[in-house]
Amino acid sequence: MVDQTSSPPKVRTDEALKTDRLTRTLDHFRREWQIYAMLLPTIIWFVVFLYKPMYGLQIAFKDYSIFRGVQGSPWIGLEHFQTLFANDSFIRAVRNTITISFYNLLFGFPAPIILALMFNEILHATYKRTAQTIVYLPHFISSVIIAGIVITAFSPTVGVINTVLGWLGMDSIYFLTQPEWFRPIFVGTGIWQEAGFGSIVFLAAIAGVNPSLYESAVVDGANRWQMMWKITIPSILPTILIMLIIRIGNVMEVSFELVILLYQPATYETADVVNTWVYRQGLQSGQYDLAAAAGLFNAVVAFVLVMTANTLSRRFSRTSLW
Amino acid sequence: MKRLSLIAGALATTMMASPVLADGHLRISEEPIELTIQMNHARYPIYEEDWPVEQVARELTGIHLINDTVGANMRTDENTGRTEALNLMLASGNIPDIVGSSRIRDFVNQYGPEGAFVPLNDLIAEHAPNIAAYYATRPDIEAAVKASDGQMYYIPYLPDGKYGRAYWIRTDWLDKLGLDMPETVEEYEAVLRAFKTQDPNGNGLADEVPFFARQWPEVVRLVTLWDGRAHGSDTYHDFMIEDGKIGHGYVGEGYREGIKNLARWYDEGLIDAEIFTRGSSARDFLLSENLGGSTHDWFASTSGYNRLSADIDGFEFKAFLPPASPSGRRIEEHRRILVKPDGWAIGFENEHVVETIKYFDFWFTEEGRRLANFGVEGMHYDMIDGKAIFKQEFLDAGPVNRSLYQVGAQLQGRGYFQDYNYEIQWSNEFALEGIALYDTMPDLLIPDFLGVAFNADEQKVYDRTWGTIRDYMLERQQSWILGNGDVEADWDGYIAQIKSMGWDELIGVMQSAYDRQYGG
Repeated sequence: MVDQTSSPPKVRTDEALKTDRLTRTLDHFRREWQIYAMLLPTIIWFVVFLYKPMYGLQIAFKDYSIFRGVQGSPWIGLEHFQTLFANDSFIRAVRNTITISFYNLLFGFPAPIILALMFNEILHATYKRTAQTIVYLPHFISSVIIAGIVITAFSPTVGVINTVLGWLGMDSIYFLTQPEWFRPIFVGTGIWQEAGFGSIVFLAAIAGVNPSLYESAVVDGANRWQMMWKITIPSILPTILIMLIIRIGNVMEVSFELVILLYQPATYETADVVNTWVYRQGLQSGQYDLAAAAGLFNAVVAFVLVMTANTLSRRFSRTSLW
Repeated sequence: MKRLSLIAGALATTMMASPVLADGHLRISEEPIELTIQMNHARYPIYEEDWPVEQVARELTGIHLINDTVGANMRTDENTGRTEALNLMLASGNIPDIVGSSRIRDFVNQYGPEGAFVPLNDLIAEHAPNIAAYYATRPDIEAAVKASDGQMYYIPYLPDGKYGRAYWIRTDWLDKLGLDMPETVEEYEAVLRAFKTQDPNGNGLADEVPFFARQWPEVVRLVTLWDGRAHGSDTYHDFMIEDGKIGHGYVGEGYREGIKNLARWYDEGLIDAEIFTRGSSARDFLLSENLGGSTHDWFASTSGYNRLSADIDGFEFKAFLPPASPSGRRIEEHRRILVKPDGWAIGFENEHVVETIKYFDFWFTEEGRRLANFGVEGMHYDMIDGKAIFKQEFLDAGPVNRSLYQVGAQLQGRGYFQDYNYEIQWSNEFALEGIALYDTMPDLLIPDFLGVAFNADEQKVYDRTWGTIRDYMLERQQSWILGNGDVEADWDGYIAQIKSMGWDELIGVMQSAYDRQYGG
């Protein structure tokens, strides 16, 4: 605050300015300490689980031995990266990751938005709540159970899907061993599992739209369809864009436990993603350094993607994460 | 489990006074020595000081082990993640005096030469006469446990007995359909087809699953019926050894022929349509539901399913000899491996190295071996005519192997030589009958590949090539069996692809490591 009572403006020294700023900062913390206390657990979580492990990333450039430790292992430069990129199956895994993520984005991203818009149009309160609960449920089931359900549903002998195909006079298909079926099943399972839960954030955004906009639209004679297109969607567009940027940042993180549970050597061709490749080649055989190199590569790709998406979004819609 | 160990502890205290044990000839140290131990293996996740077996061992040797296990998962019946537990232990920077685990070989052979574990060759020669005597009779096993620097870093668990898995068939179905036990692969095929088409379970549906397996690689093992090879050891997809040469089943002509026939079997419905996804409950489900006809699985556990005769009229599941291949050869590719990669090692900070190796040697003495195999005399077994015979109440107290683990016997995290007599005493009649049948054919079993220890350069080649090649092999293998490709048409391209992935280099380093280890 500028002191307005003193008539001749004092020439402040740098020293005084500094003390002033310090006092103000201290004052601020004294006043708002509860808020910082609430922030603390998150900061600790970030430091312990995200920043501290970054120290270990250096093993991507080392011939790492657990016994010698991170410090004691010799540097070997980019050898692990050369190994990775000389490996056809790693390249294939990168390609599969991007393809699966692209499908996830293409079909999986709009799903919760559409679902939220549909929920918003339901007027019957009990029906709405029941329907919401039902679509949220799969999110809380563990991947192992989900995989069990999927394997049973797509079983060639007792599965629901093949039973229906049988009624239609078609031959049964052993879906989970056919490379061309893996991605549709995987992406579909993901949508079934997460679309409901993902719609919550969009429902919250819709709830925040100013009701007077709808009232005036009604006065102007707009129908529900027009209100959705002209009011709801433009109003929640910032939320959609933020969610999209976050989603793009996770492009390399295909939910690999579900892939591991559902894939087979017969479907590696379309199913093997970077994380499952790392699991098989790196962790199962104890090559942590190679696994770290692949993980670092993943992180760099994700970083570039999220930066690009953020910049594009800021330029074209003035909505961005930072 | 807590309750059980309490009971076991109470029992142990009552018998501690047993005079037979107290003559002191096995004593290693007059003053009791305390040593810390990490012990975590497939059969038990932790070391317990009040195991009756351990109490006796402590009394006899004067060595007192203190549990110092990290990374144990006490919550699951099947304790997984042993390798992670070992890595965790190493990463924590504290290596106990003794480390016992499943799958310890690659671990100690990697970190032993770096200094984490004590090399054992000289210690065994000087202080472990019983271990040395065993190795003198089995130089191949001694070679198999060595690291690339020629040192031994662990004392292995040595399984006993010959047969592991066998071919099994519903003999009551054979009788019902008026069929004979199949002797050749052609007859086997005819039997499986009859199972599929002639409704042996009598429910009017063709829902029988003629051949099934809990682990899908067992279906691949059927290539041995056409003179192929699949798994060179008890590890699936492993390399094989033939006349001192390293090779792999998946590049052989017999394999090609076998896969071609298996694809035909699969297409005809003779192999479980869900073979690749049914998983570990396949045997339980298909036998209990009266659907499964034949499999390839362990003697002990599979013979137990004959208890289903209580629910399924006439149910009888018996072992039969491996059907002869078109060239007339019968082989059983799976056997109980001679040496496991399990056992125990000495950590580099151990201050009582000599006493520790003597303690390891104790378990190879007659008394120690009996203790490791049968538990405590007078408590779990009695000596009758010079043989250890389990007490009836111990046999009746539930699954015998489980009971043994809970008193501290038959632990894979301990280096010891198993005595197959322990298992025979509680194998059921169907298992014993099957083993006797297999014993009539002396040439059934073939040598296992016991593994190699790489030096750093060889390890690099192996790491770079084998994972990728194996993935490719399995990918093609499943596709061919499922009919998404024709092995005959694809074969030349398949071999060329494997070569281009560095096959010759890989086999080269395997062979050089093998020659170094087993003396060419």
